[in-house]
Amino acid sequence: MHKESRSRYNAHLIKLIIALVVVGVGGYFAKQALSPDTMGQYGHYRGADIEDQKNIALKLGTNDSCFQCHQPIRTIHKDGVHKTVSCEVCHGSYGNHIGDNDEKIGTLPVKRGDEISQLCLRCHNKVIQARPREFIKMVGYPEHLEQMQVNPTHNCSQCHMVHDPLLWIRQAREMMRMPEGA
Amino acid sequence: MEDIRQEIDQDRRAFIRKVLGGTIAGSLLLVIPMPASAVLRVAEQIPGMQEETEVFTKKRFVFVVDITACIGCGSCCVADKAEYNVPDGNYRTWVERYIIDDHDDVYVDSPNGGLDGYIQPREGLPHPTRDTFFVPKLCNMCEKPSCTQVCPVGATYKTGDGFVLVDKTRCVGCSYCVQACPYSVRFINPETRTAEKCTWCYHRVRKGYLPACVSVCPTQARKFGDLNDTNSEVWKILHEPHVVSVLKPDMGNQPALHYVGLRREVV
Repeated sequence: MHKESRSRYNAHLIKLIIALVVVGVGGYFAKQALSPDTMGQYGHYRGADIEDQKNIALKLGTNDSCFQCHQPIRTIHKDGVHKTVSCEVCHGSYGNHIGDNDEKIGTLPVKRGDEISQLCLRCHNKVIQARPREFIKMVGYPEHLEQMQVNPTHNCSQCHMVHDPLLWIRQAREMMRMPEGA
Repeated sequence: MEDIRQEIDQDRRAFIRKVLGGTIAGSLLLVIPMPASAVLRVAEQIPGMQEETEVFTKKRFVFVVDITACIGCGSCCVADKAEYNVPDGNYRTWVERYIIDDHDDVYVDSPNGGLDGYIQPREGLPHPTRDTFFVPKLCNMCEKPSCTQVCPVGATYKTGDGFVLVDKTRCVGCSYCVQACPYSVRFINPETRTAEKCTWCYHRVRKGYLPACVSVCPTQARKFGDLNDTNSEVWKILHEPHVVSVLKPDMGNQPALHYVGLRREVV
């Protein structure tokens, strides 16, 4: 390159460099000011969020939470074939019933009549073929009522204790001295 | 009144000590966190979780879904909706029904995500059914999550112990993660306008309780546990002969959600 063609005036370059530095430094401080304090503590996220997520209150308890108060049902439920069924799926969540200070804050709705049969059929309806048969007793509805020679308008809960469905059946068999499966 | 005055005069020091003691004890009660609710007084379901005080646990959690045990009752979906108050039409977890006919055509449906259970058999299929089963779906908690990579604001991230979570306060609702997830487990919550997904009930697990869906499953089709514990049920399933697979292994996300009895038709 010829010496004459090079400009001796570099003020425009200096201005550009100063502008870049100002933008860079300003940007750095703006980022510091605008990002949350714990951003980048463990990775590219707000570290404090882990604590926030940990502290979310539980809505559902466990069956044991319910049995703290509902003792009579516990004795029936824990020995029955329905012992793995969750209280809260049928009755509603613990969080809607008991508040933070162990006080009752609401009454859970009681299922009645046809609602009960609908809950039973969620698991026991024979027409749904996708269910693995070995896990669960399947019944046709209302064929089961016809087979058992009861009124076809009966609800499941009129013969079966819902918390231990075979409890009354067993008791009836004992009273009638009927063998198993009769 | 006179009696009290006399008593105070008799033993001023003791009185002041009692008042001070009462005040300090009272104020301490306000500061020391009490167990938040009765739920926390029930025995923990995951052993050793309440001793885990570090930011990240030392455990390696995996989720195992046993397709051969799922009866499609939808208890998990009910529990999930109750735990998170999920808006109607969105699902953090759902149950799909697969039907394979004798021409090997596959039909999948999931009415209301399985929330109402499966009441009616699927009708109007042209050929007889060869095989049919239920497949519960939830977050796969990938070892290499696609969703965290695409988030422009660092709102979704993977914790040191493998949970992929969404920071609601950071999320801007751009939906990049919804599109990036190969398993379609994310959605934009219409109320908060932020991305949401199954967290394997991180808040329950950290307090020592099983995820809500695992806790309510009547046939133990959903299992959750620690792979570092060689006595755990999940360790046994993943280290002993079983038909075990993950969804879309070719995507390379390496999910921590495993399925027992997974068929090749399931996507």
